Amino acid sequence: MNFELTSTPEQETFRAEVRSWLDEHAPPDMEHPADPGQLTPGGYKKQRQLGRALGKKGWLYPTYPSEYGGGGLSAEEALIIEQELDRHGFTLPPYYDSGGKLGAASIMVWGTEEQKAAFLPPIFRGEVRTWQLLTEPEAGSDLANVQTTAHREGDEYIINGQKIYVGSTHGAEMSWMLVNTHPGGPRHQNLSWFMVPMDSPGVTWAPMDLLFAGNERGAASGHKQTVYFENVRLPAFNLIGGENNGWRVAATHLELEHGLMQTSLRGDSLWERVVRLYKEDKSGGTPLMDCPDAPNLLADMYIDSQIGRLFHLRNYWLQSTGRPVTYHGPQAYLHVKRSALRTAKALHRLFGPYALTTDQEVGLEDGHVEVQQRGSIVAQHPGGTVEIQKVIMARRLGIGRGEPQKSGRLK
Amino acid sequence: MDLALTQSQEMLLAAARGMVEREYSKENLLLLESGDTDLAETLWQKTAAAGWPGILVPTKYGGEGGSLTDAAVLLQELGRAPAPGTFFSTAVLGVLALMEGGSEEQRDAVLPKIAFGENRIALAATESRYGWSKSLTLTRATASHGGYLLHGVKLFVQDAANADLLLCTARMGDGEVGLFLVDASLPGVSVRPLPGFVSDTFEIKLNNVEVPQASLMPGGRDALEQAILQSLPVLGAYQVGACERVFDMTLDYANTRIQFGLPIGRFQRVQDHVIQIVNLKDAARWTTYEALWKLDESKPDAATAVHVSAAVASEAYYQSCNAAHEVHAGLGIMREYGLTLHTRMSRTLYHYLGDPTHHKVRLAAELGL
Ligand SMILES: Cc1cc2nc3c(=O)[nH]c(=O)nc-3n(C[C@H](O)[C@H](O)[C@H](O)COP(=O)(O)OP(=O)(O)OC[C@H]3O[C@@H](n4cnc5c(N)ncnc54)[C@H](O)[C@@H]3O)c2cc1C
Repeated sequence: MNFELTSTPEQETFRAEVRSWLDEHAPPDMEHPADPGQLTPGGYKKQRQLGRALGKKGWLYPTYPSEYGGGGLSAEEALIIEQELDRHGFTLPPYYDSGGKLGAASIMVWGTEEQKAAFLPPIFRGEVRTWQLLTEPEAGSDLANVQTTAHREGDEYIINGQKIYVGSTHGAEMSWMLVNTHPGGPRHQNLSWFMVPMDSPGVTWAPMDLLFAGNERGAASGHKQTVYFENVRLPAFNLIGGENNGWRVAATHLELEHGLMQTSLRGDSLWERVVRLYKEDKSGGTPLMDCPDAPNLLADMYIDSQIGRLFHLRNYWLQSTGRPVTYHGPQAYLHVKRSALRTAKALHRLFGPYALTTDQEVGLEDGHVEVQQRGSIVAQHPGGTVEIQKVIMARRLGIGRGEPQKSGRLK
Repeated sequence: MDLALTQSQEMLLAAARGMVEREYSKENLLLLESGDTDLAETLWQKTAAAGWPGILVPTKYGGEGGSLTDAAVLLQELGRAPAPGTFFSTAVLGVLALMEGGSEEQRDAVLPKIAFGENRIALAATESRYGWSKSLTLTRATASHGGYLLHGVKLFVQDAANADLLLCTARMGDGEVGLFLVDASLPGVSVRPLPGFVSDTFEIKLNNVEVPQASLMPGGRDALEQAILQSLPVLGAYQVGACERVFDMTLDYANTRIQFGLPIGRFQRVQDHVIQIVNLKDAARWTTYEALWKLDESKPDAATAVHVSAAVASEAYYQSCNAAHEVHAGLGIMREYGLTLHTRMSRTLYHYLGDPTHHKVRLAAELGL
């Protein structure tokens, strides 16, 4: 065994190339607000500029085929890009984009050659960012219950309905969505999956007022939106995977969203902040709070972060070596969600009310500690609740059924 | 043995519930959260008009002369909302501090005003190193012109927005910690709200504030300690009421939200969360009400019961909110739904007057461990 991620000399050369390119091209004045709802339009624009520059080199979505605008690179090379971006405090992509991470995977598996050629390159080159429109008032965990309808008229589909808890601040050029194309039809065989230009007449959206402005993994979304569809006309070309086959198309990206998409081999920046706070308080003479349990709490936090790191390392290894992956994605995701709540409690016990305020003078780490208090609650729900992660794990393990359930198609 | 409320307590509870539902409605609380100060004032006046601020004020000062358990019944209903802390800071902690530590002159001057809703009080005790033991007081009281100069910074003061008076701790020339009743409108006092995931939390700067000799409370810091001990289970009752409301919301949602063709309450994982809340809330309720009874009956081991209840109630409110969020998923994090009003309050009350760790340390000491 070897737990170290080692690189070949060629990979080290690649790393040096990425590093010097980033030193030259990564704008130094990128915004990193603790609260993602506070990213300004200017800050968003810079993220997109960097995205387009990365896209030109094939580094925005490195592992997708170069014929569609991806980089055609290996998982190891993609990880190198991600690690180097992390040194500058960015994720890959450097802005919130469900298209490349999730939607594109479904298009790769289920799209026709023409559809791949039309939809993928703009995403991979960073020209288009996309939202993921799944959830509805009556369809949360029970995603198959979506009520937004699409019915065909000639070469077009006409869409009506509403999606909630979706998207991000600062809009999107495209979205992909799951709709009902056969009301009253059999469950799982009545859905279809569409690509939607967001400037289509009849599409409108409005921000939701939530406890925290988004807390999915990867680049932060900012404010989630309600998106309305009123007689929105789409070319039939935008239907991916065929009519009433949408559930299987969705199974591909859901598989990834349930814990497989994030390499999470980046450093734990919150941990570093907390240790710094704790040590500086000590050496500065006055701990922020009387807390007899401090070493214990910090040790628990450290242990949680180690388990999280190893679950993700294992998943990366399983995937990159072509080994079967079953319950492992949801397991890692479950750990991320659960440990976030434990960490929130530990920080509150360590720093008392200091952990709760964003005040410039009194708050900690420019609001990053306060944000974790709210964000950890919100983080329990996206990409499937804690209970749903367990439901999937149970099915994949065959608990009570004997026969383990197959995972969604990734290839 | 009789674990029921008295008939008059039941009547008080029913009246309080109606009033709280009307005045401290979710809609009003969301407005308060967004900083509607006029509404805060209006609601306080209505609370005062109901005579509630005098619940613990002895009759000779114009109050009701109620027991701690009486006050707890009121607080329990305020907690359901969850109403702002002004009532607790003034009518519970403030009144008890005056009774325990005030001079006869101070009581005469202030208690009637509290009973009539004309004075509000905030406790300005905690400072840069947060905690509830007196060793942490750095604010200085220097003798000057027959009075004192107060100088220092109070951090994480609750409910200071409209306070007329501050209960302020300060270190005296002899090193002891004194307790002052300070007019909040004096020159040198500045009050600043702290933003974030907190409820009505402030920083108060005391910049060489000149206070008269008569503002020193003879009972000192020890009297404050006694007042806090008596107040804790009354605050616990607020947390019990809050847990009850969180439970009601969650049970209702588990029964009405349909996914996969079933009320989500039919899923055992969801049942687990609801059962956790009911267990937390009942543990908080009975530890709290026993502590109140022991204080009202002057039982020798009352302090032990207080620390048990304080540790249990703060933890119960915090964890009940977490469990409620699990059951509500997306809906629960929408501000307009109202659950986050509780979540926010549960965080503030988790450390206020000592977090569970603090009370467990004190409990161990009471138990001679
Ligand atoms: C920050 C954030 C970002 C999001 N981003 C997106 C996005 O980009 N796109 C998008 O489409 N959606 C998004 N969502 C929506 C998210 O996917 C849903 O909130 C989530 O799937 C839960 O749905 P719900 O909120 O309707 O809860 P419900 O499904 O109503 O769940 C309520 C409770 O019932 C439980 N439950 C339901 N079914 C079962 C079962 N079978 N067994 C056991 N328990 C069950 C749940 O676990 C939960 O405790 C986001 C949500 C958040 C909070």
